[in-house]
Amino acid sequence: MSATSSGETTAQTRGVDYAAALARWLVGALFIYMGLHKALHPVEFLKLVRQYDLPLHHVALNFVAATLPWFEIFCGLLLVCGIAVRGAALLLVAVLVPFTTAVLMRALAMQKAGGLPFCAIKFDCGCGAGEVLICRKLAENCLLIITATWLTFLRGGIFCLRPELLKKSPGDKLS
Amino acid sequence: MRAARTVLLEALVVAVTGLALALAANALSPRGLRLARNYFPVLPAVDGPATVGQTAAISNSPPTDPSQAAALRLQQRGFAIANGNEVFELFKDPRYEQGLIVFVDARDDDHFSAGHIPGAWQFNHYRPENYLPAILPACLNAMKVVVYCTGGQCEDSEFAAVALRDAGIPRENLVVYLGGITEWTTQGRSVETGARGSGQMLTPAAKP
Repeated sequence: MSATSSGETTAQTRGVDYAAALARWLVGALFIYMGLHKALHPVEFLKLVRQYDLPLHHVALNFVAATLPWFEIFCGLLLVCGIAVRGAALLLVAVLVPFTTAVLMRALAMQKAGGLPFCAIKFDCGCGAGEVLICRKLAENCLLIITATWLTFLRGGIFCLRPELLKKSPGDKLS
Repeated sequence: MRAARTVLLEALVVAVTGLALALAANALSPRGLRLARNYFPVLPAVDGPATVGQTAAISNSPPTDPSQAAALRLQQRGFAIANGNEVFELFKDPRYEQGLIVFVDARDDDHFSAGHIPGAWQFNHYRPENYLPAILPACLNAMKVVVYCTGGQCEDSEFAAVALRDAGIPRENLVVYLGGITEWTTQGRSVETGARGSGQMLTPAAKP
């Protein structure tokens, strides 16, 4: 009985490990793809960021447009390779939450101005995928936020080069 | 608690490293942005009426249509605007052949190559250093410099006009074609593909 229970737990843990690895690869690959698209067209991205009418000085606006794409690529690579997984995932949540809020605010403003049904609103949000239906984009971002949040709570994992960056040695466990 | 602190610390290390690498990548990339440059310059409004041939109907109430808003903004800043027919007249004017009327396309390389008004110079104002040495003598020599971009919500012609004014082109010589290449091609007018002077002409079908 005990051996069966232990076996089930191991199978469950393995299942979670595989799911986490898959989630890392999917989220990481998506951020690399989106980041590369923006990094290769920084002026286009700058114009899109400007459309949010953020109360930013032009230097801050340039800084966001110049660094965010490369930063996304960097975090995406960390997730794919399994390095500093929880830190990278936490940062992606920190990027996604304000960005998704900004997309939502802009969509609401457009709805108010144009009188369109919310889910019919479509614009290039600067996500790297071109013009998108905003309901779909918000759903995607919520899914990404949930997945990245889940990754911040997982420890270790399979197919990881160095899942915990600040762990000094394999025997030195964090608690 | 300790685990949370460790994750936060790890995130901080990743953030600092990521930002440093991002700044380095931007600096090394040939397409990188210059952090200190104002890519969206705004000219202060000028007193008095706008100068030339504007045809857009502009009311005193705040416009909701982007092209009307752009027209109003340009007029307030003392730039002339022109519609498709006025631009076509300038295009057919013998002074165009003499270089006294110059067309400037404010879009990027890909869009310019895909099709521009025949004989237009390219001036991507986001990379002025790449274009100004070539176009400045032509613009300084011209009586009229017609600047355009895609049209519609595109603001690049406006920013390019400001950049050209800052480079020394008299404001009264600058005309912004708000309809842009979209209006030009919609009216079935020919465009030149590839580089300026390539001679490769393309005539799109006119749309109603």
